[in-house]
Amino acid sequence: MSRFEDIIALGLRLGVSLSILFILIGLLLLYAYTPSGIDFSNFTTRGISVIGILYGLPRLDGMSFILLGIVVLIATPVFRVLLSVFHFAEEKDWLYVAITLIVLIDLLIALLVIPSLVAG
Amino acid sequence: MITAIYLAFLAILGLAAGFVGSITGLGGGVVLIPALTLLLGMPIEYAAGASLISTIATSSGAASAYVKDRLANIRIGMSLEIATTLGAIVGSLAAALIYTHNLEQVIFILFGLVLLSSTYPTFRELRKAKRSRMNRDWSTDFFNLHGKYYDSATKRYVSYSGYRWLFGEGVMLVAGVISGLLGIGSGALKVIGMDWGMKLPIKVTTSTSNFMIGVTAAAGSAIYWVMGYIQPLLLAPILVGILAGSYLGSKMLPEMKGRHVRGFFLVVLVLLGIEMILRGVGIA
Repeated sequence: MSRFEDIIALGLRLGVSLSILFILIGLLLLYAYTPSGIDFSNFTTRGISVIGILYGLPRLDGMSFILLGIVVLIATPVFRVLLSVFHFAEEKDWLYVAITLIVLIDLLIALLVIPSLVAG
Repeated sequence: MITAIYLAFLAILGLAAGFVGSITGLGGGVVLIPALTLLLGMPIEYAAGASLISTIATSSGAASAYVKDRLANIRIGMSLEIATTLGAIVGSLAAALIYTHNLEQVIFILFGLVLLSSTYPTFRELRKAKRSRMNRDWSTDFFNLHGKYYDSATKRYVSYSGYRWLFGEGVMLVAGVISGLLGIGSGALKVIGMDWGMKLPIKVTTSTSNFMIGVTAAAGSAIYWVMGYIQPLLLAPILVGILAGSYLGSKMLPEMKGRHVRGFFLVVLVLLGIEMILRGVGIA
């Protein structure tokens, strides 16, 4: 039991730290490289895909780093649920394996299916 | 153009939101939404988008400490997340329908009234010196709703059990639907469901709610992303502040007395209820 809690805690900390790291790098890059006159304050996530963000990274595009940080942040709870599935399976606690799998499937539906339904 | 002072202000706002959110189990919205809309004049959907992502940061940032301290109960949290995520999906699908019929005002008012009326049982619990123990029911053992933590405030180990899982699950379903509909983490209902419904100790309740809201908020975030209600540059300094605030909160909660946690939650609950009603009548 004790090892499991420590792994979950570590996973959460890792996700949050990575996310903040990317955001800070992104802010620094924006600060260093943005020509004056460009205003990013009204920039939104509309039309931005994860693939597009990855393409922006090698170009050292600050906004892409910030967006990657936000994606990592959103993925952290999903990762935490996934870790729990493995743990409960290891403990042979099948009731909780089933419960955690349902939550995982719900989450994936909410993240991957619902947006395309709503945005049409 | 964004000035350094503006960025610093957003970071301080994040700090406050992370601190309050991690102690009460309510996420970031309680502080962020009124501050962003009223002080900075941000449109509500952008404020809600910022608040959703901030809630994930508050949750994950503080939960790592709460899980390590054995304060948040992973089993109870997971088993209740079935209803919150399912509710969030139903709520977000229904949202379009609600907004085209302009019913969201009604939902805000109803939600505000529910929160305000739930201050009474929370207040009554606050005045009780000792909580009456319930007889364990079928769900207590079936879902293994037991736990034990070391209370740094009283320097004692506390063993506890949860009751009325089905009732808790019902409250979570409503919480999930509301979060999908209104784009808020709805941690308040989660805390009320576990505190009042399932009779869990208040520190276990707020830390487990904090653990859960990350998943609920993540479920709701994709729609806000696609609709373009997330502004990365404004969010970035808020998130940096959130990280610091939730770290402070997660260090403080274990040291706090249960009564003080419940009292703090009660105050925030009243403010949140008023805020929801004001939004419902179109003032905020």
